Amino acid sequence: MEALVQRLAPPPAHVDPDEYDLGADGEGNLNALGVVRGMQVPRVPDPAAFLSTYTNSMSQNPQAKIKLEHGTTTLAFRFRGGIIVSVDSRATAGSYIASGTVKKVIEINKYLLGTMAGGAADCQYWETYLGMRCRMHELRNKERISVAAASKLLANIVYEYKGQGLSMGTMICGWDKTGPAIFYVDSEGTRLKGDVFAVGSGATFAYGVLDQGYSWDLSDEDAQELGRRAIVAAGHRDAYSGNTNNLFHVREDGWEFLGNKDISELWYKYEQEKRDARVAAAAQPGSGEGAQGENPARPTTEVQSVPMEE
Amino acid sequence: MFLTRSEYDRGVSTFSPEGRLFQVEYSLEAIKLGSTAIGIATSEGVILGVEKRVTSSLLEHTSIEKIVEIDSHIGCAMSGLTADARSMIDHARVSSLTHNLYYDEEIQVESLTQSVCDLALRFGEGAGGEKRLMSRPFGVALLIAGFDKDKGPQLYHAEPSGTFYRYDAKAIGSGSEGAQAELQNEYHKSMTLKEAEVLALKILKQVMEEKLDCKNAQLASVTAEGGFRVYTDEETDEIIKVMQEQHQEES
Repeated sequence: MEALVQRLAPPPAHVDPDEYDLGADGEGNLNALGVVRGMQVPRVPDPAAFLSTYTNSMSQNPQAKIKLEHGTTTLAFRFRGGIIVSVDSRATAGSYIASGTVKKVIEINKYLLGTMAGGAADCQYWETYLGMRCRMHELRNKERISVAAASKLLANIVYEYKGQGLSMGTMICGWDKTGPAIFYVDSEGTRLKGDVFAVGSGATFAYGVLDQGYSWDLSDEDAQELGRRAIVAAGHRDAYSGNTNNLFHVREDGWEFLGNKDISELWYKYEQEKRDARVAAAAQPGSGEGAQGENPARPTTEVQSVPMEE
Repeated sequence: MFLTRSEYDRGVSTFSPEGRLFQVEYSLEAIKLGSTAIGIATSEGVILGVEKRVTSSLLEHTSIEKIVEIDSHIGCAMSGLTADARSMIDHARVSSLTHNLYYDEEIQVESLTQSVCDLALRFGEGAGGEKRLMSRPFGVALLIAGFDKDKGPQLYHAEPSGTFYRYDAKAIGSGSEGAQAELQNEYHKSMTLKEAEVLALKILKQVMEEKLDCKNAQLASVTAEGGFRVYTDEETDEIIKVMQEQHQEES
């Protein structure tokens, strides 16, 4: 049995097994140095084939009995005032809504946030583990890890498990010596640096709102409102996203949580505001079309001119 | 100490007929050659103080590290072959962080100390089939200072022999005999953190050959609010000044 497990288990990541063969040391899947030494996989000849038969994580197999959580909308964008991270809170398993209160933003440390899309457990575990490795870097080097290095650490870990069923699409967001930075990392091993990302089944809806309202020079309030609006749009149109919105703002001195709001309530509040604006415009004959910038029914101006609640 | 050298002082796992493990005893001797380190536990927190031997005016004193952070709530001071402490400290950091990852809570100071002492015994094979990691025992002792929610501020002394004890106040290194005697005289349970800072420096001053300043002495504290923190040179100078004023008043 022992030999079988050894044969099937992936090789320990990042570590020369001869150099650090510490036997029973370490804890769980970590060796004595706190480095991943490989996880046990199903004891079948081909674990990857096994997974694609029974779960929908690796194939589009509609007969798969186990439907892993996949529907989500998460977004993050960089702008003059830092980074906005905005996510929904719905967890689905197939057409079943498993939870409406999921924390999809993982607080890696005071300066780093990770988002959750794909397998909830995969994201939660590996991003918490990433937090540990970042702290280790801090203690060993007396300096905070860069966002680039942190995201590379995660990308390297997931690449070790490529093809074995990991499912994650995440954005590592943070502020380091180079300023604000966002890296998109997924379980295929992709790692991309960029200014605007949306991940999950509702990403296209979120991109729609983001792209028409985004500008580098957005004020803090407008940027936060844009992040919120994009998730509200996705939560409304995508059946696999919704419930509530969690909003974060990353600045030089760390991230700040800006609150949890109900997506449906926000959607109908925005709709009401649009109706009220139309009524007000109709009541004022002669104004209307001439002053385009003043027309709240137009999405471009709407996103930037409607203040946050209260 | 051991006038008749015998073959029993070669192997790390062979008892002498008198029941001694000479290599382990020699490792304790190595600590007595090291610079002095002092730890004082008070109800407000723990103070660590070390002597730094600045052997040359060309030596950059900030590169001598004798007090290090293990985690936000635990720090340690060392004496002896400080190179050996590198692997102990890395092990301690990993232990603390993995505990946090697996249990979502801070590791207890005693558990952390136990984990370091487990490593200290790895110059031999373990009973559970663990491989031998080191050719000899460590040549360094640690004063581990920490704070946990259940037991408050604590000070542990960990030796290369793998034993550890909790102390109210403890000195290790070349000046430890004099320093421990002085701690015995001066320590009392109701001591404040401020008093402990001054006492640590006062005793270091007594056992050091050079004139005490912020370059050859360093302080750190572990408290409930601040966690582990190494004092800046300015803070150390300030405490030295307080100490000198107190000394003048007494004389």
